Amino acid sequence: MPSPESKSLLVVVRHAPYGSSLARTSLEVALTAATYEQEVGVLFMGEGVLQLLPEQDSTQIGVKNIGKLIASFPLYDLDSLFVDEDALLRHGLDDKNLPQDLRPLGTTAIQQLLRKYDHILGF
Amino acid sequence: MTVILHTLNAAPGSTAFSDCTRLLSSDDALLLMGDGVYAALAGTAAHKDLSNTGASLYLLEADAAAAGILSQTADNVCPVDFDAFVRLTEQFAKQQAWY
Amino acid sequence: MIYSLLVLSSPCSGQGSATALRFARAVVDRGHQIRRVFFMDEGTLSGGSSIVTPQDEINQVQQWAKFGAQSKTELILCVSSALRRGLLDASEADRYEKTAATIHPAFEISGMGQLIDASASSDRLLTFGG
Repeated sequence: MPSPESKSLLVVVRHAPYGSSLARTSLEVALTAATYEQEVGVLFMGEGVLQLLPEQDSTQIGVKNIGKLIASFPLYDLDSLFVDEDALLRHGLDDKNLPQDLRPLGTTAIQQLLRKYDHILGF
Repeated sequence: MTVILHTLNAAPGSTAFSDCTRLLSSDDALLLMGDGVYAALAGTAAHKDLSNTGASLYLLEADAAAAGILSQTADNVCPVDFDAFVRLTEQFAKQQAWY
Repeated sequence: MIYSLLVLSSPCSGQGSATALRFARAVVDRGHQIRRVFFMDEGTLSGGSSIVTPQDEINQVQQWAKFGAQSKTELILCVSSALRRGLLDASEADRYEKTAATIHPAFEISGMGQLIDASASSDRLLTFGG
C-alpha cells in the first residue's frame, strides 16, 4: 500500500546500456521507487531500447550487466514497462526476445502515457 | 486536463530533438534551452518541425543571447527569463526533460 | 507550491547546471518552497570542494552552496554517483581510507531514496540534464 504522500512516477530511459552512466542510474531510480512502493513506470525510448537486447555480457568491460538488472525487475514488482514501437523497429529489435511485461506503444499512446503519471523523470 | 512542459537542451539533428518533436502535442509547451535554442532560428527545417506540432514555443533568453541568435529567432518562439520559466512550471504540472 | 529538482548536469560542462541554479533561485523568488535539490550522476560534481574555476567564470559549487544557505534548501548528492566520482564526505573518506573529504560542507550525501521521497512529497519535480 503506497504511503499517504505518494506520486506516480514515469522514468523515461533514452540511453544505450554501456555508453553513459545515465543508463544504469535511470534503472536504479526506477528500482528504488518500486522498493519504496511508489507507482512507477519505465518507458524505453530512442537508444534506450538497446538496453533490452538479450545476451548482454559486460564481464570484459568490468561494469554491471544492464540486461540482468532489467531481468530482475519482476522481483521488485516493477512491471509497468513500456517501449517506443518506432524505436524498436528503427533499431531492429522488434523480433528479438524481449522482456515479458514490456508493452510496445505508438506515438499517440506514448503521449497519453506521459499524461498519466504525476511526475516524469527524463534520463 | 494535465499538460506537459517539455524542455529541450539538445541541438536540432539529435535524437532528443526528433523524439521531442514527435511527442509534442498542441496542448503542450516547449522551452528551448542550451543547444536547443538553435531550433528557434527562423526559416530552418527544425523550426518548421516545431511549429507544425502546434505546441506553444518558448526560448530561454540567456541561452539565446549566449548563442548570438536573439535577433534571428522566429516570431512564434517567445523569449523568456527565469521568472517566466517558473511561471510556466506553475501552469504545467509535469516536465519532460530532453537533452 | 513545493518543488524538487533533479540535477544531472555537470557544473564543468554545458549549461544545465547553471540553468538549474538560476531556476532554483527564481522558484524561491516567486515564493515557492524547494523541498530538495538532488544531484545525481555528473551532477554530483556540483558538490566538489576542490573545484577551482577560472576567475572570469562562475564557480557553480560556491553558487549552489550560497543558494542552499540563503534559502535553507537541502542539497543532496546521490551516494553511488558521488563515490564513483571521488566525492566523499569525512565519514566516507575514513571508511574507504581516502586522504581527504572532497565534498563542500553545504552538501550532504544520501541515497536515491531521498529522490523518491522528494518526488512523493512535491507538487513539481524538474529534471536538468545535458
